[in-house]
Amino acid sequence: MRTKFVFLAALLVPLLAGCGLKMPSDPEGTLDRVAGGTLRVGISHNPPWTETGTGSGPANANANAATGTSSAGTGPAGTEAELVRAFAAEHNARVEWVSGGESNLVRRLERGELDLVVGGLTKDSPWSKHAALTQPYLETSNGQGDKEQHVMAARMGENAFLVELERFLREEVQ
Amino acid sequence: MTARFGRTELPEDLERVLRKAIRLQWTTLAILAVSVTLVFLTMGNSQAMKAAWIEDMLSFAPPLAFLIAVRIVNKPPSEGYPYGYHRATGVGHLVAAVALCAMGTFLLIDSGMGLLKGEHPPIGSVELLGQTVWLGWLMMAVMALTAVPPVILGRIKIKLAKDLHNKVLYADADMNKADWMTAVGSILGVAGIGIGLWWADAAAAIFIAGSILHDGWKNMRGAVTDLMDTRAMTFDDGKPHPLIGKVDDYLRGLPWVESAGSRVRDQGHVFHVEAFVVPRDQLPPLQALEAARDGCIDLDWKIQDLVMVPVAELPAEVGGRRRHQSERSL
Repeated sequence: MRTKFVFLAALLVPLLAGCGLKMPSDPEGTLDRVAGGTLRVGISHNPPWTETGTGSGPANANANAATGTSSAGTGPAGTEAELVRAFAAEHNARVEWVSGGESNLVRRLERGELDLVVGGLTKDSPWSKHAALTQPYLETSNGQGDKEQHVMAARMGENAFLVELERFLREEVQ
Repeated sequence: MTARFGRTELPEDLERVLRKAIRLQWTTLAILAVSVTLVFLTMGNSQAMKAAWIEDMLSFAPPLAFLIAVRIVNKPPSEGYPYGYHRATGVGHLVAAVALCAMGTFLLIDSGMGLLKGEHPPIGSVELLGQTVWLGWLMMAVMALTAVPPVILGRIKIKLAKDLHNKVLYADADMNKADWMTAVGSILGVAGIGIGLWWADAAAAIFIAGSILHDGWKNMRGAVTDLMDTRAMTFDDGKPHPLIGKVDDYLRGLPWVESAGSRVRDQGHVFHVEAFVVPRDQLPPLQALEAARDGCIDLDWKIQDLVMVPVAELPAEVGGRRRHQSERSL
């Protein structure tokens, strides 16, 4: 019994170490696809974190025409929009913005039509069952003195992408 | 604590075994507390880790039941509880078994639904010494760490359970011994997520839920049959307890006894014996009956509460031909 256990452990360790090169990885390959390609980002208006402006991506022209907003003229602004641009740049990716309401964007994220949703989301967001929220990258307090822990929402289970995003946010915001 | 089970005083060597068992159960509780905390801190969104955590939480029940029961059965029989408090062990056993069954079923459904709905568990990262580390590595490390101690404890406890004839301790030891499978299961589940197999986690959780349910079912059967006063079995419910035969043989060996048979039920640690004896010619003097009773009690420390019933013919349950219920022995 004990020897069996030791044997099993001995078997497991190199097995795990072998997989370690690609751990974690994405079931749907998000991170690999984004690198050198397109990062599809859903953005909901929530200043100062996100401000939807006129888009720079093709999918955005329609969205903006529909809402009729045009503030800056160079695509969405706000601190989170800037973070997303920097993240995309690090992976040589073009950002394709899609603006809309949170619930609509999260649904599209679930269906795999988006890779990431931003909009001043916090850790207490009701979307945690439908999207993979990052670790909080910033803590602020609102008018009532409540702590708000800011997060972004990635697609469920795309863990390599999630971990890479969290690493980026940690290094960027420090 | 005086080492006794009700009126039954333990032989000296068993008293040592009991003290060792009590010490071990406290150790088990301490180790469990550490492992529950570690697993909780690293649990994240993994269903397999959640299942392992719930199993660890449930593992508190048997040692607690044991520790409470050894205190309660310590009380001698009273007017209100004429059979003593031994059944406290059986009640604890049943409660623990029902809890196992309920949680096993819940987890099985919960994990099965997750698998059917194709839920992809997200597992992010934590910052460790300035480095971003995938939480999955920590989960696997914690599970590997918590896998070993219960196996060692379980193997020691099984020997003590046999000596003490304590089925709660046996059930506990048996679960501890199988605990490494839970750990290996969740390690494989998390590793599966790591290499991009989203279903590995739910599959591992279903495996763990199945093992919890299996434990629950086995224990419930044991606890219910004991409360139903099945004939006394060995500590692992493997075969009828050899003491039943020993009592019968001893009584049959007495010169004034024509034939004998006994009903023996397991009260927890000790047995309650009703011995039916058919005298050869006529009822012997009271001293002979008392000597026979003391002889039986001297056979083993587990026999203390023994009722001897002289009858004309043995009832059917103890091997006689009489069709009446044992109580109607006139």
